[in-house]
Amino acid sequence: MSRRTLSTSRKARTGLLVTWLLVLAALGWIVAQRLHVTTDLRSFMPAPTTPDQRLLMDQVGEGPASRLLLLAIDGAPSGSLARLSRGLAVALKHDPRYAEVLNGNVDLGALPDGLLAYRYLLSPTLDTQALDEPYLADQLQQRVDDLSSPGASLLKPLLPRDPTLEVLKLAQLWAPARSPELRDGVWFSKQGEALLLVQTAAAGFDPGAQDAAVSGIERAFHALPGSNDAKLQLSGPGYFSVVLSAQTRHQADWIGRISTVGFIVLLLLAYRSVSSLLLSALPIASAALAGIAALTLIYPAVHGITLAFGFTLLGVAQEYPIRVLSHRRAGEDALASVRALWPLLLTAIASACIAYLAFYASGVNGLQQLAVFTIVGLLVAGFTTRYLLVYLLPRRVHDVADMRWLARARQWVDALPRPRWIPVLAALMIVLLLALAPGPFWQNNLAALTPLPTAMLQRDARLREALGAPDVRYMVVLQAPTAQGVLALSEKLQARADALVGQHAIDALELPSRYLPPVALQRKRQARLPDRAALEQSLHAASRDLPFRPGLFAPFVNDVEAARSLPPLTPERFEQSPLGQRLAAMLVQRDGQWFGLGTVSGVHDVAALQAIGADSHGSVRLLDLKAASESLVAAYRTRILRALLGAAILLVLTISVALRSVRRAWHVLAPMTLATFLVLAVERVMGIEISLFHLVALILAGGLGLHYALFFERDTGDPAEQRRVLHATIVCVLSALLVFGMLAWSTIPVLRAIGLTVSLGVFFHFCLSILMAPHAHAAED
Amino acid sequence: MLLLGLLLTSTVTPAHEAGPAVSTSASSTRASALIEALGRPAPARTAFAEARFMHMLERPLVVSGQLAWLGGDRLERRVEKPRLEIATITDGEVTQQREGKRPRHFSLKRAPQLQVLLDSFVALLSGDAERLQRAFVIQTSGHAAGAWSMTLTPRDPEVARTVASIVIDGFARESRCMETHEADGDVAVDLLGTLAGEMPAQPTPAALQTLCRGAP
Repeated sequence: MSRRTLSTSRKARTGLLVTWLLVLAALGWIVAQRLHVTTDLRSFMPAPTTPDQRLLMDQVGEGPASRLLLLAIDGAPSGSLARLSRGLAVALKHDPRYAEVLNGNVDLGALPDGLLAYRYLLSPTLDTQALDEPYLADQLQQRVDDLSSPGASLLKPLLPRDPTLEVLKLAQLWAPARSPELRDGVWFSKQGEALLLVQTAAAGFDPGAQDAAVSGIERAFHALPGSNDAKLQLSGPGYFSVVLSAQTRHQADWIGRISTVGFIVLLLLAYRSVSSLLLSALPIASAALAGIAALTLIYPAVHGITLAFGFTLLGVAQEYPIRVLSHRRAGEDALASVRALWPLLLTAIASACIAYLAFYASGVNGLQQLAVFTIVGLLVAGFTTRYLLVYLLPRRVHDVADMRWLARARQWVDALPRPRWIPVLAALMIVLLLALAPGPFWQNNLAALTPLPTAMLQRDARLREALGAPDVRYMVVLQAPTAQGVLALSEKLQARADALVGQHAIDALELPSRYLPPVALQRKRQARLPDRAALEQSLHAASRDLPFRPGLFAPFVNDVEAARSLPPLTPERFEQSPLGQRLAAMLVQRDGQWFGLGTVSGVHDVAALQAIGADSHGSVRLLDLKAASESLVAAYRTRILRALLGAAILLVLTISVALRSVRRAWHVLAPMTLATFLVLAVERVMGIEISLFHLVALILAGGLGLHYALFFERDTGDPAEQRRVLHATIVCVLSALLVFGMLAWSTIPVLRAIGLTVSLGVFFHFCLSILMAPHAHAAED
Repeated sequence: MLLLGLLLTSTVTPAHEAGPAVSTSASSTRASALIEALGRPAPARTAFAEARFMHMLERPLVVSGQLAWLGGDRLERRVEKPRLEIATITDGEVTQQREGKRPRHFSLKRAPQLQVLLDSFVALLSGDAERLQRAFVIQTSGHAAGAWSMTLTPRDPEVARTVASIVIDGFARESRCMETHEADGDVAVDLLGTLAGEMPAQPTPAALQTLCRGAP
């Protein structure tokens, strides 16, 4: 009889296991079908509130400066470098991933044939000159001289259509304001590297797309003949984001591998059962898959960072199977053990969910995803542990309560003095440490957490200087109700920009009207174009003594005639030309307003530059991207802190209700709160400035600490059960220290921030929950 | 266009005693020997007079001045008539200066004629036959001790798109003329050295050719 039950129950267990695995496989399939991962960092930023923050969000990622990659080729004779530079420019020119490629080679094809007649409306020549006989005579005489000069072959094809060389003037106007020296027709730095500027079509805030752009450049370069000896170096915001995420991922990966092995060894030592170990992985796998599946159902795209952080935060869920395993008694089946444990475990799950709910309340898309993922994950891990795992666990186990070292450890712990002044002492220490802490409390500069090697920053500064590439921090913003309004504003601002360059406050300021003058100005120039008869007459008179063949300039006359009746060039039309991409990046519409973005290079005097918008009533202003991003981060933190406060209140209520005693709730919440602040205080005294990553890590540690306190607080009156609590907690603490302690040794500050905070947190939470737990029997005495 | 004159005005005796006959299909060693014998130290200058026959123009453009090799890859072309204009090549960069105008700069790559000039001129002046052969396919005809002619065809296809070939005419150690045939059919004829003074008032290609092929 009992043999029969045994065999049916074995069959049922196998059936359950197979079903569970099948459900997991199905979830995995759904996830694989639906999961779309995005890397755009902006979905991890809070909604901007000020106009400058809004521009920051739109433009830091998409603005012209953030899309710029600086390239340097060296390691070969200058002749080959020049050839490589030209080859690379040709290879990238028609690739849709790159909006613009510049290497110093003046591109006469900047204006496509269809827009060629517009040259008279775009070039400033007609502002000061009429196409009359004296001007034409002078120009034509110069062309005769040009034809007998060594550069003749350059001009010959242009001459019949463009004797005043407007195309050349436009090419010069549109060339970067300050360019490096030319050798063999391409830019070279003083160090002898060939230099190029590439503007990517993808936004700078999209590391995935930037990665594709960077590897596209590298592939194109290595495909060039003779590129083997030469070395290509890149710089710029997009490249940095690629390098940083690769570096971070690489380190996180190998640390992750080592700690996984350690974790497995730890669990094997703790429970001496391979099947328990394998089975206890099922709730976690279910949690992760269910979490991602929930995300794919709710959101069109899941952020990569959500997944990375989510898996970290889900580490809490590993506690549930561990608790069950440690609390197994010899001879009792897992179901009975878990029934005794469940009310407490449920409280633990609910409180962790409440803590993570704070992320949802932050209102930031990426963090809301994180909340959905972790809460769904925790619930699934908890309930599968309770209702599925227990039926699968091996019947016969060895009771950890019988371990001799554990009994000794429990005795030692119970014998620890637990004076009532411990919380007071901890609070005093926290206040003292915080008062002594050096430097600012908060770290608002997110870049400080992913610092670049100094050599890379120095190279970037050098290339930026050599190429006259725009500053990534400052930007001049022009605002008007219409695009034409912005262009007119830009046109008016040009004189002031020139003055700033003259007084060396800046090296250059590139305004949108440099590419496209406002319609009004185009009309003015158009009105100065002579009619066909007048032009033919002036041309005839001007070339009387010159050797040009009669009728040679007919294409010129036709173009001028055509230009007289052209509708002025609008941004929409211009944006279809190769240079239009450049204008599109400088002229954007938002909230019914138009914004012009002027890029600044070589800022020497910020105050003088700031004055550029002095009397413009806010329509012209200097945008400090660093200040705007820091204000954004500060606003972000305020929201998270407020959400945390709400979560804390909710937590106090939940715990008090669950334990049905404020005094007992105090024993759980006080050590958790004190430990959290102790981590903050210790980190501050170490000179660490607190960033968003520290806050996220503190919440994770808080969730873990809450579990420790909940279990230590519970007084079952059964010494064996108390030993099992200690065992479970030690396994949890060691596994957390193993994983996060490894991260704390990382060389990358963001990983170190998370690792150190959680490790310190786990340690303090453990010590304080033991020291502040009610005394095993003292409470009854 | 301009310049080999200088090299050839040198009176240095050739390495070999009797000037060997140079056949049309002269082996490259023969051409090398001829070229090497033309080398002279920098800086070197020669007068030149140039007539350009172009499709766009009804009559040829005539300019005259001095051409100088300043050593290395540096070259100066100084036009004195009809207007002063100085063009210099340094490090692949051309600087062009005219009276009363701001200097203009452009890349040598944009002026294949100058590239050809640099390659041929410097190679010939420094007697660097190897360099000349790297840049051009060389065909020689005539007699090294008497009238000879050397046709240079650019090897670089990019250069060849603009300059189809150059013919240098000389007599003994002196090169007298350089004819540049552009790919679009335009022709420039440079009279060099002593011949520079003999540019006719109304030059025609035929008249100049006669002048170049004659004996000094």
